[in-house]
Amino acid sequence: MQRHRRFIAIVAVLAAVAAPLAASAATTSHRANVTISFMEAMSSGTQKPTLDDLTQNFESTHPGITINLIAEPNYGVLQQKEEAAIAAGDPPTIGQAYENWAAAYASAKAIIPLDGYVNSKKVGVPGTFKSHIWKGVWNDLFLPDGKIWMWPFNKSDYVLFYNANMLKAAGLSVPTTWAQYAAAEKKVTTGGSWGESLDTGTLSAPANGTLEYLSMVKAFGGTWIKNGKPTLDTKAAVQALQFLDDLKTHGALQVGTNYPEQTALGAGRSAFAVSSIAGYPYMLAAVGGKFNMQVAPLPAGPNGGEGNAMAGTNTVIFSKASAAQRAAAWEFMKYLSSPHATAYWAIKTGYLPVTKSALVYMKKYIATHPYQKIAAEALQYAGGNPPYAWWTQAEGYVAEAMQAVLDNGASPASALATAQQKAMAAASS
Amino acid sequence: MSVNGTVTARALGISRSRRTSRKGIRNGRLAMLYLSPALLVFLVFTIGPAIFVLYISFFNWNLLNPSLSHFVGGGNYTALVHSSDFWNSIVTSVYFVGATVGGSTVLGLGIALLLSRRGVVRRIVRLAVLTPYFTPLVATSIVWVWIFNPQFGLIDSLLRLLHLPEVGWLQSTTWAMPALIVYTLWHDLGFTVIIFLAGLATVSGELREAARVDGANYWHEVRDVVIPQLVNTTLFVVVITTIDSLQAFTQIYTMTGGGPLSATTTTGFLLYQQSFVFYKTGFGAAIAVVLFVVIALFTLLQLRLSRRAA
Repeated sequence: MQRHRRFIAIVAVLAAVAAPLAASAATTSHRANVTISFMEAMSSGTQKPTLDDLTQNFESTHPGITINLIAEPNYGVLQQKEEAAIAAGDPPTIGQAYENWAAAYASAKAIIPLDGYVNSKKVGVPGTFKSHIWKGVWNDLFLPDGKIWMWPFNKSDYVLFYNANMLKAAGLSVPTTWAQYAAAEKKVTTGGSWGESLDTGTLSAPANGTLEYLSMVKAFGGTWIKNGKPTLDTKAAVQALQFLDDLKTHGALQVGTNYPEQTALGAGRSAFAVSSIAGYPYMLAAVGGKFNMQVAPLPAGPNGGEGNAMAGTNTVIFSKASAAQRAAAWEFMKYLSSPHATAYWAIKTGYLPVTKSALVYMKKYIATHPYQKIAAEALQYAGGNPPYAWWTQAEGYVAEAMQAVLDNGASPASALATAQQKAMAAASS
Repeated sequence: MSVNGTVTARALGISRSRRTSRKGIRNGRLAMLYLSPALLVFLVFTIGPAIFVLYISFFNWNLLNPSLSHFVGGGNYTALVHSSDFWNSIVTSVYFVGATVGGSTVLGLGIALLLSRRGVVRRIVRLAVLTPYFTPLVATSIVWVWIFNPQFGLIDSLLRLLHLPEVGWLQSTTWAMPALIVYTLWHDLGFTVIIFLAGLATVSGELREAARVDGANYWHEVRDVVIPQLVNTTLFVVVITTIDSLQAFTQIYTMTGGGPLSATTTTGFLLYQQSFVFYKTGFGAAIAVVLFVVIALFTLLQLRLSRRAA
């Protein structure tokens, strides 16, 4: 009953939408029945019921289209299931995919490019809609061949969670540059507390700590790739890793596994945690009301440089889908990125709206959750995973370089030189 | 009559052997019929995939679209020979296997000797030793990740309490493998204890008593009477735990992900990494074939040594 009431509320909100959705429904009302499947990993917390709601609403406004959601427990399993399904010749109609996954799927001809749909006069998106998608999100949709292969769905980026009580007690204001951040971390480091914890991950599974470092590299003026090749050992990259090593040596940075940033912040032991904004509900749960947790944008680099790693996935259409399924899939993907739907998704799950137009429908929410606007605006300059299949390996070598420096005393320059050498070999193989 | 009796007996004998032979053939066919479902399952789910892995090891195999694969002959095996990652994984595997097999055998026998006598306390301890073996690897691995956590874990908390230096455990290239070995021994020791307990039940009580009568103390009794009679059991334990260790994956995936810096990347884990993370499926298949050969050799060795011991 509660679910039914919630569903009615959603329909009421979305019924206030202007022409596009209604027109879309009108044009599709006479469509033959088609069933599509969506393999996704939105199965924890509020993600599942929210996606269920959006799906039901889409089906009600697009009679004739049925969507089967295939929920997987996490991204690791999702990727394995998608790969297994592709190898078995029985993929879903659409699936969530990171950029490097999409690159691998595209080279195996397992997915289709979307230019024909995006730019179609009949079913495409208007220019205004395209220009309202955050720049970082829009750039993220392309593979190196210049075609659009993905469409945005659940995006997030990295923010700075902090213990406001601890900062106040130390007489510190929220750092706006990485230099201020280092000073703050060192100041709060005493016997029982420290600046932050991070998890570098491993070669097979880089973790949040690696993304934090890569964000810093950009803020320090560095790049991750150039001309389709990795650039892991730039001056900025060495500087950023040296920065983290200094903090580790001081004891202000601790290394751990299994979301240590969340555990340390939640336990009131660390002042800061750098994590995806999508982790906000989990951070809040870990804090459990023990102190005032706040959110700030990631600090800026030495010359005011901004750097952020975009997280979250896009959606892709698999090539085994029939023409009717592809058309229905495109309608659903377009719907999920529409201002109302993406606003609803962001409000309920903590992910970010993929388009600026959605912020208009989030005014009330942002008034009480200002961090959402902070994180959403960072999507303008955030960078997604480079769209190359070899990036999985290259990112793993970055994680290894961090391990070599932070846990095993290697010098940042030599560790990154090794990572660059291995990444080049992977990119060339 | 006797001639008739002899002729009759001979005739009976020839007839009996022919009847026995026909019966044997019929029984053999019936046996095959009863075994065929299991054999079919074995063929489809074990032999077939093994042959397919051998096949794809000769290709630069595209997991997502096999039609894009191309034949490279022995290229993957050549790459394997020249791969430092592969040889490092061999060294890591030898480390892991040596420690877990040696630890399982020695500790398993030791604990079995202690538990072999009767008593309520011993029954409770036996249950406590055996229970971890039946717990899920993933769930218990995650618990041990927290036990080894440097900031919040049990072990480092105890070290801090005793004013001893903290250890990075799963973040340390030195300590990550010992941590994995400790977990593996904790989980699998129950199995070897049970096997040794069964073996100890077959040891001749009379020989042990005779040794005691001759003045042997408990240690001499174990060394000179019990252990020699446990040769076959020990052999079985060594081979089975070696095979299990060579195939270990879950705890490595959950606890260390093969790190830090590939310190815990065994050959089995390297196989997964190359095939399913980096999409080098042909290369991964070559690793699988090499691993198969190693395990097969161990099995043959066990059979040979068992026959010799018998």
